[in-house]
Amino acid sequence: MYILGISCYYHDASAALLKDGMVVAAAEEERFTRKKHDTSFPINAITYCLKSQCITMGQIDYVGFYEKPFLKFERLLGQHVQMFPWSLKTFVSAMPSWIHEKLRIRKSIKKLGYQGEVYFIEHHLAHAAASFLVSPFKKAAILTADGVGEWSTTTWGIGNENEIQLLGEIRFPHSLGLLYSTITAYLGFSVNNSEYKVMGLAPYGDMHKKTNLYYEKLKQVIDIKEDGSYTLDLKYFKYHYANRMPSRAMEKLLDGPTRKREGEKKGSGKESELTQRHKDIAAALQLILEEAMTAMLKDLYKKTQCKNIVLGGGVALNSVYNGKVLGKTLFKRMWIHPNPSDGGSSIGVASYIYHTILDKKREKRHQLSHAYLGPAFSTEEIQQFLDARGIKYSKFKNRQDLIASTAKMIFENKVVGWFQGKMEWGPRALGSRSILANPCNPRAKALLNEKVKHREHFRPFAPAVCADDALKYFDCDKPLPEITDFMLMVYPIKKEWHKTIPSVTHVDGSGRLQTISRKQNPLYYDVIKAFGKLSKAPILINTSFNIRGEPIVCTPADAYTCMMGTGIDCLVMDTFLIQRSDNEQDQWNSEQYAND
Amino acid sequence: MNIHKKKQGSVALFFVGTQQGIKSFGENIQTLVNTLLLSIVYFVGVGIAWLMCKLSKRTFFAEKPRPEATTYWEPMDLKKRPMEEYRRQF
Repeated sequence: MYILGISCYYHDASAALLKDGMVVAAAEEERFTRKKHDTSFPINAITYCLKSQCITMGQIDYVGFYEKPFLKFERLLGQHVQMFPWSLKTFVSAMPSWIHEKLRIRKSIKKLGYQGEVYFIEHHLAHAAASFLVSPFKKAAILTADGVGEWSTTTWGIGNENEIQLLGEIRFPHSLGLLYSTITAYLGFSVNNSEYKVMGLAPYGDMHKKTNLYYEKLKQVIDIKEDGSYTLDLKYFKYHYANRMPSRAMEKLLDGPTRKREGEKKGSGKESELTQRHKDIAAALQLILEEAMTAMLKDLYKKTQCKNIVLGGGVALNSVYNGKVLGKTLFKRMWIHPNPSDGGSSIGVASYIYHTILDKKREKRHQLSHAYLGPAFSTEEIQQFLDARGIKYSKFKNRQDLIASTAKMIFENKVVGWFQGKMEWGPRALGSRSILANPCNPRAKALLNEKVKHREHFRPFAPAVCADDALKYFDCDKPLPEITDFMLMVYPIKKEWHKTIPSVTHVDGSGRLQTISRKQNPLYYDVIKAFGKLSKAPILINTSFNIRGEPIVCTPADAYTCMMGTGIDCLVMDTFLIQRSDNEQDQWNSEQYAND
Repeated sequence: MNIHKKKQGSVALFFVGTQQGIKSFGENIQTLVNTLLLSIVYFVGVGIAWLMCKLSKRTFFAEKPRPEATTYWEPMDLKKRPMEEYRRQF
């Protein structure tokens, strides 16, 4: 039985395919169209899913969509009615896409040749299903939090076997996700994209509630009750009726106008200076988010008395907070989908159809134990590409040669593009489409930021470590949560290692680690171990294979273009080694494309 | 031979340019008509709904915190329903 799940039209459009309840393929549309956070109907992702199983749309048994479009439309109309006449501009700009595509999703799906019914579930139910139904837990408390779905912005509930019950909600426009996005916009970063930058900026600010002036100021914006439920004072916001997020009142409260990006004009790539005030605001926001989330989770534990917790929605990408959950609450185990925001909901709706609507039992094989669900390219396909383009390359003698040579190149401070196997599902590169570098090199961070990624100096790089070494280098929860495999947790790096791996140690001594087991990704695991033999620290810098503003590479052509336009020294693609210095550099310079 | 090719190129370029121009003109007209019609819908449809809501004191969401409230959680009971309900878009 094949079930296709689709999410699109808000951000991160995606498609996922289930075969007898197991996720066999999933990808985000942006990887194919090369438009970051592409919202359009995921025709390319669907095509990939079908191709991966050699089937056609006619062979799909069920199709599910990740939200109820008419409920969302009702919310939109309610917003416009309440905010009349200030919402004219957003009404005029939003309505055409609703009329032409968003309310016609069923028609778009039928056009593909699908004859059956389309199933629609609520947005937060899709988030809850994406997290719970593919988790290792039979029973768990559920908390979902994002910008907004139909009306809900935060929900709690319980998952038991193959059923989910959502029991409480906080409704639009009161939203933790939108509060975070508003401050992201205020700090001059792009909404629905750069929230993680604010999270990375926060440790540079004052993380103490008593001394951070902006903590008390931001507390005026949100009222948090003892049970963690919250509401926003809407005088500080404009997103419910305008295309701008913070209001003048917010700017007054935070002692200055919204930070403008000098780099808004494509090509300059430089932002205006971030002052200590901006850093303190980021810190205050992170403190408030953590305060609300902790209160909600503590209350959720009281209500459910469940030892397991699953988190869903975009807020679950806040890896700094994720790393603190088990320490601050009474929950013993936690699970988060590798793609917890809207993109992951395509798996959510498909799993919900299989397990809940069709009443199929959950089994161990249905768990999502890895995120390698995207397209792969065979050795022949890659060689064909290299030959056709006249690219100079060499071939590794064997697997051992590949591992030893790659580890040696990284140890010699070369920046290595790593393109192997199936592309990752979700926003993180997990060792299939990664850029690898030496974390022991104190200059690696600056080098990667300046020559490869063209990104802000304050953003940290993530360490990749074998699961069996993680507790030696990091102060992790014990036992190590499975979701560290998905780079969703930030933990303190043990003090004695700060100087050994300076390029992955953030300003507060933390690192957003990715753990790898040999079973999950043997080649990547062996490279890390081989590097460890040379450096005495089996840890690598693992950053996504892209430049700022572009989606992670998908095809060999994307990877080669990215390498030749940046400062990546070589590309290890399948069994081939492509040196940048051996090939003629493309005319384009990646820096000019680096954007938010 | 080359001149002939060049001429062909300019003719093709002319048609491509014209086609693009017409497309862009059409899009501008579409935007203009959409804006006009949607503005009318907004002021008439949304405006009347707003007036009715004002008269009946109905609001879609609270704009200020309620210090007297003990919780902002609103109860919901979203659980498994009959299959037909999932076929609806609302």
